[in-house]
Amino acid sequence: MSQAPAEKLLEAQNLDVSYGVTQVLWGISFSVARGKVTCIIGSNGAGKTTTLNTIAGVLPTKTGRVILNGEDVTALPARERVNRHISLVPEGRQLWPNMSVEENLMMGCFLPNFRHKAHGSLTRIYDLFPRLKERRRQMAGTLSGGEQQMCAIGRGLMSEPQLLMLDEPSLGLAPKLVDEIFEFIANIAHQGVTILLVGQNVNYTLQVSHYGYVMEVGRITLEGPSDMLFNNEHVRRAYLGTGEEVSAG
Amino acid sequence: MDFSQFLNLLISALLLAGVYAAMAVGMTVIYGVMKIVNLAHAGFLMLGAYFAFELYERFHIDPLFGAVLALPVFFLFGMGVHWLLVRWLPKSDTPTLASLLLMFGFWLVLQNFAYMVWHNDDRSITTPRTLSAVNIGQITVPEVNLIVFAAAVVCLIVLQIVFNRSWFGRSMRALIQNPYAAQIVGVDDGRTSRLTFGLGTAFAGFAGALLGMIYTFSPDFGRQFLLRSFVIIVLGGLDSVSGVALGAVVLAVVETFGPQIQFHGKYILPDSLQPAISFALLVVVLLIMPKGLASMFTRKRRLT
Repeated sequence: MSQAPAEKLLEAQNLDVSYGVTQVLWGISFSVARGKVTCIIGSNGAGKTTTLNTIAGVLPTKTGRVILNGEDVTALPARERVNRHISLVPEGRQLWPNMSVEENLMMGCFLPNFRHKAHGSLTRIYDLFPRLKERRRQMAGTLSGGEQQMCAIGRGLMSEPQLLMLDEPSLGLAPKLVDEIFEFIANIAHQGVTILLVGQNVNYTLQVSHYGYVMEVGRITLEGPSDMLFNNEHVRRAYLGTGEEVSAG
Repeated sequence: MDFSQFLNLLISALLLAGVYAAMAVGMTVIYGVMKIVNLAHAGFLMLGAYFAFELYERFHIDPLFGAVLALPVFFLFGMGVHWLLVRWLPKSDTPTLASLLLMFGFWLVLQNFAYMVWHNDDRSITTPRTLSAVNIGQITVPEVNLIVFAAAVVCLIVLQIVFNRSWFGRSMRALIQNPYAAQIVGVDDGRTSRLTFGLGTAFAGFAGALLGMIYTFSPDFGRQFLLRSFVIIVLGGLDSVSGVALGAVVLAVVETFGPQIQFHGKYILPDSLQPAISFALLVVVLLIMPKGLASMFTRKRRLT
């Protein structure tokens, strides 16, 4: 699966990122094709979350560039990237516990450019997740793990992003909910939202995505179409437990 | 203590709570959003009192109107202080020594500026209604206290609405509860911090003017209220205006009734120990419920 330049919604070129003196990303390059699901897999501490935070503009890059839609956004702060329709659903949900579900969702349309569509988006999100509608007056901190994940994804979709980044959406959820979440991801991908998915649940992640990157200790070590990665000997041994039983998360 | 005496004390405690809440709320929002313990709050309170005083003495502007005028004036003043000083502080999730020292230093500057301008004299704002009182049955209430209470409550209600219904209010709460999440949806924390500092200062100036209508003041005015603000914040938590109001009521009631406690017919707390009450309350609250009174009423589940 070759990715022609025009089809690249996002391109990361040679990203070096450090926390203080500790460098965690070493020359990361990858791209995300428009309308496709791209995934990054790897074990704990490989740098996947750091990568997403860098794309979102939360962490500064030491060297390298982030290109969105042909525009260099490396120097732009997080809010300017949100304004260009990037949206991050972070690891661990990161909701506001003492704000209602509805307010949490509304915050997804915080930027002035998005405010006019807040009410329309809210209706759309409630159609996707009827559970959230039932609980809309409830404080987000009182939701179950699955509901919190729905709320976080809902917030990410409020601004109608071009690129939705999902960080470990299934972490800590019951197996049945994991099925539901991935089914949902497949659904929104089908509607044409470009997705960059990060997950430790390699089995599901590769099944739902088109193209994948494997990250190990801050470097990308392998890439290819997801079905090829799924059958790759190294991937099977390291992440899929030799292809037998696969554990979630 | 007979019943009418009790009722009188209770009413005056509640009236006091209004202005206490107005004075603490400014400190609360600043701490919540920026994690800065604003020691200069005492200086802003003091300036608020002199602001109303000067307007009354020079232009015969009613101090109540002066207090309302203090809101926009101190809002701009606070934004200026933020732009000039506060924004250079390193960002942190916990209060830093640098921020404490900066605000303490700025308080000293404000205090000495006031000594220079108004000297070390006790001032008070004396209007025709300062000494009048309202009688309702057995209850006697000084008119000024009633007016101050009403003004404080109205402003707190407006603040509560801003806090809950406006995008600015949402951005403040988002920064208080989860700054990272606020950043990824595009909240500009520099801008929100600047506005919040303005808002907190506005309420300090407003509350200072109201306090100046009740008490005499000097350039050191504000010191005793700084500690009370701490107590109220610790009692009420950071999440809501109503938490602050609750903390203010508790403090005012304890302060008012504390000196009335008798043991074998003797008052056990001499008047001179009254300021110690808020200290003692602070220690007790930190020991028993470090997360504030509100934690007793809300069932919170930790986010995983």
